[in-house]
Amino acid sequence: MQRSFISRNPSVLIFLTCLALFTVTVTVMSEGSGVGIISTSFIKTLGKTLCLCLIAVAMDLIWGFTGILSLGHFAFFGLGGYMIGMWLMYERTRLIVVESLSQVEIPPTATEVTDAIGNQIFGVVGSSDFPLIWTFADSLFLQLVLVVLVPGLLALVFGWLAFRSRVTGVYLSILTQAMTLALALYLFQNDSGLRGNNGLSGLQNLPGVEASQDVVSLWFLWASALALGLGYLLAAWIVSGKFGSVIRGIRDNEARVRFLGYSVETYKLMVFTLTACIAGIAGALYYPQAGIINPAEISPIASIYLAVWVAIGGRGRLYGAVIGAASVSLLSTWFTGGQAPNIPLGFYTIKWVDWWLVLLGMSFVAVTLFAPKGMGGLVDLWSKRRTPNRHGADLGPSDGALREQEASQ
Amino acid sequence: MIRLFLAGLAILLSCLTASAQDADIQPILQEHQSVIAKGSRKTIGPAIHAIATSGSSKAQSVLETWAAKDMWMRKSDGMFFIGKQAEAKTYVLTDFDSGKVVGTFPKQALKQLKPNSGIRGMIGAALVQFQLMDPDKDKRQDALTSIQRDPAAAMLAPLRASIAGEEDAGLKSQKQRLERLLTIGYDQDTKARVAAIEEMSGDLGLDLRATLNPLVATTRGVALGEIPKDVNIATHLTPGSDAFTTEDAYDFLVRHALAPPRVSRGDMRAALTSNIDGGHAGGIPVVQLNTDAARSRAYAALAEAGTVPALVTQADIDAALAAYVFFDSYAETSDEVTTAARNALKSIGLKVGVNQALDLTLDALSLASIYFLAAIGLAITFGVMGVINMAHGEFIMMGAYTGYVVQQIIPNHTASIIVAIPLAFAVTFAAGVAMERLVIRWLYARPLETLLATFGISIALQQLAKNIFGTQARPLTAPGWLDGAMVMNDVVSISYIRIAIFILALIFLGVFVFIMKRTRLGLETRAVTQNPRMAASMGINPGKVNMLTFGLGSGIAGIAGVAIGLFAKVTSELGNDYIVQSFMTVVVGGVGNIWGTLAGAAMIGFLQKGIEWLNPSNTLAAQTYMIVFIIIFIQFRPRGIIALKGRAAGD
Amino acid sequence: MSVLLEVSGVSVTFDGFRAINNLSFHIGEAELRAVIGPNGAGKTTFMDIVTGKTKPDEGRVIWGKKSVSLLKMNEAKIAQAGIGRKFQKPTVFEDQTVQENLLMALKKPRGWLAVLAYRANVADLEKAANLAEEIGLKEELARKSGELSHGQKQWLEIGMLLAQEPRLLLVDEPAAGMTPQEREHTTDLLLHAAKTRAVVVVEHDMEFVRRLNCKVTVLHEGSVLAEGSLDHVTSNQEVIDVYLGR
Repeated sequence: MQRSFISRNPSVLIFLTCLALFTVTVTVMSEGSGVGIISTSFIKTLGKTLCLCLIAVAMDLIWGFTGILSLGHFAFFGLGGYMIGMWLMYERTRLIVVESLSQVEIPPTATEVTDAIGNQIFGVVGSSDFPLIWTFADSLFLQLVLVVLVPGLLALVFGWLAFRSRVTGVYLSILTQAMTLALALYLFQNDSGLRGNNGLSGLQNLPGVEASQDVVSLWFLWASALALGLGYLLAAWIVSGKFGSVIRGIRDNEARVRFLGYSVETYKLMVFTLTACIAGIAGALYYPQAGIINPAEISPIASIYLAVWVAIGGRGRLYGAVIGAASVSLLSTWFTGGQAPNIPLGFYTIKWVDWWLVLLGMSFVAVTLFAPKGMGGLVDLWSKRRTPNRHGADLGPSDGALREQEASQ
Repeated sequence: MIRLFLAGLAILLSCLTASAQDADIQPILQEHQSVIAKGSRKTIGPAIHAIATSGSSKAQSVLETWAAKDMWMRKSDGMFFIGKQAEAKTYVLTDFDSGKVVGTFPKQALKQLKPNSGIRGMIGAALVQFQLMDPDKDKRQDALTSIQRDPAAAMLAPLRASIAGEEDAGLKSQKQRLERLLTIGYDQDTKARVAAIEEMSGDLGLDLRATLNPLVATTRGVALGEIPKDVNIATHLTPGSDAFTTEDAYDFLVRHALAPPRVSRGDMRAALTSNIDGGHAGGIPVVQLNTDAARSRAYAALAEAGTVPALVTQADIDAALAAYVFFDSYAETSDEVTTAARNALKSIGLKVGVNQALDLTLDALSLASIYFLAAIGLAITFGVMGVINMAHGEFIMMGAYTGYVVQQIIPNHTASIIVAIPLAFAVTFAAGVAMERLVIRWLYARPLETLLATFGISIALQQLAKNIFGTQARPLTAPGWLDGAMVMNDVVSISYIRIAIFILALIFLGVFVFIMKRTRLGLETRAVTQNPRMAASMGINPGKVNMLTFGLGSGIAGIAGVAIGLFAKVTSELGNDYIVQSFMTVVVGGVGNIWGTLAGAAMIGFLQKGIEWLNPSNTLAAQTYMIVFIIIFIQFRPRGIIALKGRAAGD
Repeated sequence: MSVLLEVSGVSVTFDGFRAINNLSFHIGEAELRAVIGPNGAGKTTFMDIVTGKTKPDEGRVIWGKKSVSLLKMNEAKIAQAGIGRKFQKPTVFEDQTVQENLLMALKKPRGWLAVLAYRANVADLEKAANLAEEIGLKEELARKSGELSHGQKQWLEIGMLLAQEPRLLLVDEPAAGMTPQEREHTTDLLLHAAKTRAVVVVEHDMEFVRRLNCKVTVLHEGSVLAEGSLDHVTSNQEVIDVYLGR
């Protein structure tokens, strides 16, 4: 116990080293550095993947460690994206508008500039007035604060309502799914103030930045890698201490933790809110690389995929979540992008674009049934960790408790 | 009183017609010879009127011939005949009155009368009175329909005249109704109109509202000083109220060129732009014109110099508004009529409201039965096994596709539906049992893992359906006898498909209650639900019960799929559209109780329709609010409307 | 002797079944009490009510010198007030080491911020080690508790209870499934604990109760049937009827 945090958690150091190596390698081989082995679009894909890894870490905290299967974390991810997107879109439109208005003979008034920006942004939804939620869109700092604040507040309010009434297990999962659906449907409306199903676009262009996308993509890669590294470190620090003990206790046996005198609801709420904030940050880094955000991004299915990544990677271990998110999302890009070779069977040709989801669905079932440890289990094979024989018993009575096969000695 | 009067009129008219049976039509035609030959819409009116009111039995045939462009004029004497082509350039002429062939003439000796569409319309209107009494029932119906579509004052008298002689009861009542409506709209006698309005008020027909609404339609007017005496005033408007702001009032004056327009920001800028002089506009450097205040000053300077019109100040606006009075007036001049119409519309509005509520209730009921159908299978599996089946929506989809495939093989829609329902049950039952055996059984008591595993199956099944059937919607056509709707009046109607689904839901409820309360399977299922271990020790095989209940739940989803496919598009995403609502239904209703599911479905159906009614333009918002409401509802009843209590509920 | 916990006139009904019927019960500071009764007598429900898991339909539950009502508090608050509970089935956090289990139970601030900032110091580690020694698990400190034997888990749970330093310990069938030696050890642990605090033991096993040598309360159909020494209650005709069937 007197040993340092790193020495108690060697996986953290290994992970950070790998992440740093990865970032440096990709940077060197990128178009931005002049070598150009890796295309800029692939750099963006990698950067986005890092953001997905970050939200997967958040998901692992809430599901793998606290035992709450949230099917709503992509809502927070999307909200983070929307918050930064508002500033990006506002500022870029402002620059364009100011530029074009400076051509006319009489200099524009402040109101004229604002009206023109409003017209540009909200023309597609038949409006030109700025909704109230865009009040702070002109300030990068405030929007950055909102990236954390808005998902955090939503999670706080929703979590308070849900946990207070002791909704657990599948009920809670369904409720979080409903929350995501409600948010997505709300945003789909034109008068939601966020451009309805058009969403926010052109986010890849940083206002006032002259550098080419080759370089900007690298900046985002670095920022994403940094965020992932910090997020991982934070998560590892949280779960390594007594707080980690308590939330794992909640996962396996919620009632027992309560009788120890810990307010289970508060702990759940805190983890829920914290992970929502992390998800918001991940989203704020993801969408400028994706270039566009619309309500379809936060449909319930996205959040379920998040759970799938964590499950395939192996829940209850942070590197598992990262491995799962990275491999599944990259594979998915590969298969659905049409790069995977088709398999001719003579009478039928398997086109992976069509069959990838079938494969993913089935392999997911297989992982759940036969390899609950997910890909993380491979690490156990290598480090020769054994699974205890508990005669088929789970580690606790709670719905989120670890299964026998997931535990290790 | 009125009826008596009308009857008298009708008799009078028919006598007139009868007595003039023998009058010839040609003299009347000749009287208007030049006008008819000229064929101008502006002048033809009296001629058509004269023919129509001639009383001659030939009048109808003349008008019909004319409209059909079969009337020819002999150039030599200007007489009109029915012309029929004999050979390439020759025509056979027949006399209107005698009906005898006059002879064959070359084309150049004749002139064909080609009434333009305007004239044909007038002829058609004149013909209506004949058609209304035509021996052919279909023609009478056509004539009525044409009047309904395009009512006019001129139709009133012929319509009244035709009522007494009408033999067909259906047509007669239609005619009487139309007569009332036309009376309201066009009768000369104000008393008769008011009486007709009062007689019909409370009727829900759209046609009545279409007749009354123009009567109470207002136009906005303005007058200098005081309100003119000769108009039927609806309201006297005071500028400055919420409904009529001073800005509205002033804009109204501007639109009627009674006041100079205000100078908008855009106008101001345009004026300044066109008056830039050496880097200055209105004496202020252009670079400084980036505030409204600076621009106003510059503009004021220009206005003083007379280059631009002066700014309209608030004082100008007030003065202008003080000089004029504003009012809304009716086009209808009779105050009695408009008052009666307003009152009638008010009472109709009240009745319409009640009926709309009824209609809404029916809508909500049908939506609730759809949700019930979609959710019942889910409720069974969730209640008995604590398992959330994310692939439930895909079972619904499977059922719908089964219906589609059956329809490809059996073209008869009725037969195919009868085959499809049990087949869909069989297919999804088998799929459910397979899924239970292969997946769910191994994840016993792991509800979250089950949720995710079934989700994996769900995406695989969805994609599989896409690969097999493509992404476009497939039709699942309802049998003909389910087409159309049961119409109670112009407000309340419900389509037969929805009634059928409601009945199907009732049947399911009955079957389910029967299975649960009266059969061995039901007994065992209830036992397993309440205490699986105890049930197992009593010799019940929980594995078998689980398998059968899961199959049952899935099978019901399949049948629900056929039902839903009948009115929704059959796509691979069909299940997606219902799955969240189904979850909500189960969660709100409470687990392990069919009545809970029923209550949940009813609550969600009614809630959704209710919110849609409050906010009709936006169904997305309705769904959003509904979900928010459910999340709050769960606060107060975390275990649903009907919750298991005590130890059986577990923790 | 001052009263630590007073339960008076408590009733609770599940779907028409009266699990607890006008039950009154009190226990003083530093007292050992055994509660016995046939199945369905309401022993576990009684514990559920005291620990806040079940809310009674009527009655009062008063705690401590300040006479606070426990009915308005949730489970965590009640536990923080000083009531520890051991379940019938050993429930320890099986994915965590014995040390982690004990550290979690140690009497320390329970707020999330304090817990987040908490890092084990030497004093706490020593405390945990001492407790482990007391419950005979010193060698097992670094092992995951899931690997322990059934008896060891029972002791660990008792150790966790002791670490909480509660003023009242509610122990549900501690000796179930133990070997005679393990029982003896358990008895010693409970007797030792009862010197400084109140302990309520729910037990079926008369032999075990006899060894505890304390006042016994007999529950039947949700209310107190008899109270007194073991010999006193076992000679009571009603108790004999209840246990042997009429």
